[in-house]
Amino acid sequence: MRRYHSLLAAVAILALGGLLSLVLADYRLRLLNVSVISAIAVIGFNFAFGLAGLISLGHAAFVGLGAYTLAILSTAFGWSPWLAIPVAILVTTLFAGLIGYPLLRLRGHYLALATLGLNVSFTIVVTNWISLTGGTNGISGIPELRLGAFAFNDERRFLWLGLVLLALCAAFAVTLQRSRYGRAMMAVRDDETAARMTGIDVTRVKITALCLSAAFAALSGTLFATHVRFVAPEDFNYAHSIIYLAMLIVGGEGAVAGAVIGAALLTFLPEWLRFLGDAYLAFFGLMLLAILIFLPTGLVGLAAQLRRLGGHREAETTS
Amino acid sequence: MADFIQLFINGLALGSVYALAAIGFVIVYSATGVVNFAAGQFVMFGTFAGVAMLANAGLPWPVGYAAALLAMAAFGALFFIVVYLPLRTSPVVTVIIGTVAVGIVMQNAALLGFGSWPFRLVSPLEGITIDIGGAAISAHAAMVVVVTGLLVGLIWLLFYRTALGIGMRAVAQDVEAARLMGLNVNRLLALSWMLAAVLAGIAGLLLGPMWFADVNMGDPIALKAFAATIIGGFGSLPGAIAGGLFVGLTELLGASYLSSAYKDLIAFAVMILFLLVRPQGVFGERIQDRG
Repeated sequence: MRRYHSLLAAVAILALGGLLSLVLADYRLRLLNVSVISAIAVIGFNFAFGLAGLISLGHAAFVGLGAYTLAILSTAFGWSPWLAIPVAILVTTLFAGLIGYPLLRLRGHYLALATLGLNVSFTIVVTNWISLTGGTNGISGIPELRLGAFAFNDERRFLWLGLVLLALCAAFAVTLQRSRYGRAMMAVRDDETAARMTGIDVTRVKITALCLSAAFAALSGTLFATHVRFVAPEDFNYAHSIIYLAMLIVGGEGAVAGAVIGAALLTFLPEWLRFLGDAYLAFFGLMLLAILIFLPTGLVGLAAQLRRLGGHREAETTS
Repeated sequence: MADFIQLFINGLALGSVYALAAIGFVIVYSATGVVNFAAGQFVMFGTFAGVAMLANAGLPWPVGYAAALLAMAAFGALFFIVVYLPLRTSPVVTVIIGTVAVGIVMQNAALLGFGSWPFRLVSPLEGITIDIGGAAISAHAAMVVVVTGLLVGLIWLLFYRTALGIGMRAVAQDVEAARLMGLNVNRLLALSWMLAAVLAGIAGLLLGPMWFADVNMGDPIALKAFAATIIGGFGSLPGAIAGGLFVGLTELLGASYLSSAYKDLIAFAVMILFLLVRPQGVFGERIQDRG
């Protein structure tokens, strides 16, 4: 049973998402697309933060780098977006590896501040490098993704594409997490010295985790760019990094299911809580704080606890 | 030359505000180990405490300033009870995200209370200029520099010449040892938070007339205060001052002599460079976690 976990995750995403794609109205479908795109970024973030314990406040910069690379290649250079996606992922991953080498010597709040500085710097650069990025006007006219005559140009069609990619990403992430590479990352998170003692190359594990997180972020960014077909600097500022972080914490850090659930929940929450008006962010902050204090393993952890509780009760009644 | 003097004094004034924000941040970090990502929102609260007391309640200057700082001290105590105590045994990552969450709540609370329209906080020295070497310096900017200098002196006296301050430093060094010496650790920790909040409040009151009072002003200040802290050296008070002045000066001088678009990038680039090459900053801290 255990070895089919990755398959299970993929099938669950496809089945649930496919069902929703048939019953929901267009506006909800748009939110679902946003959830799927965010979920891919958050699954990536889980490698760095959930598994390897790297506290990054700059994940949105990787998403933005992927999105901008695709936007520039597909508009200014007229590339096919299908070709631009792998190039964008490659560029972002290489960038992550390059900065990872010096950056990942830092830990704790030093790493948090450095990545925050990186995200702010990214925003400043894309805002001001007008000849390349269009500045605050952003880049519009990004071509849609199409397979032959079939264009992914409405919400339902795009969702099908997004779901397939999300299912693949989730299956890959679950497999990796259960492999020795995933366990090595968790070992580095829990105790670096002990991990090094067992022969794990700590630096390499951390950089691998950061590169994986950047690759997923870039894929998410390219999907964002081909979905909205417009990119602007404020889509990738550090406030979005904090949202990715919050998604993972609410869903449950260290778990792929948590990443997907958190991304969907925090995308739909502002809609459900529209009656709060301007006070939504206060609610959001208090909810995050409450989860940190009372529910540090997130919703996935809560579900596991409830299951254990239920199991105990069953055991008691049968004995 | 006159231009340069004017920019230099204004840079010192802005840097003084960053330094005050950074000092508050460092006091809390040294005493409690908490990296307060809501530090910028503390300064914003200070500015809006000034708006509430001076512009809205119409109190005269001395009374209004005192009332605003009292409110900030009370807020520091509240933060100690509501945020610090529940999170104090949590891992550093949790505390960082917790203070980020509180910062979001504070910003939203200010938005609900004051709206998104910026306010103008008038300086008591509004409209007065001083002539230095042919340059017209606003009296407010000069006052900011002087007030900051005085405060730094007072903080030094507090920490090195009073039993209270020495107790706070003892707690910062070793909580258990301080407790064994019979110090009331919780009271001293609460005082550290209150002191940090008051310093942030003073920074906010001084900054108000230089910028517009805007509920979104917290994040830019926090980023500059973080950069100042890293450059000067995490956990070091002289470092916070030197770093704050450096960031303020590069911001204003860089904007007019290099590039106004990339003025903020200079401070962050220097910060990241320090993190990579000399993470302990100019004045260094002797704590692990640097790599």
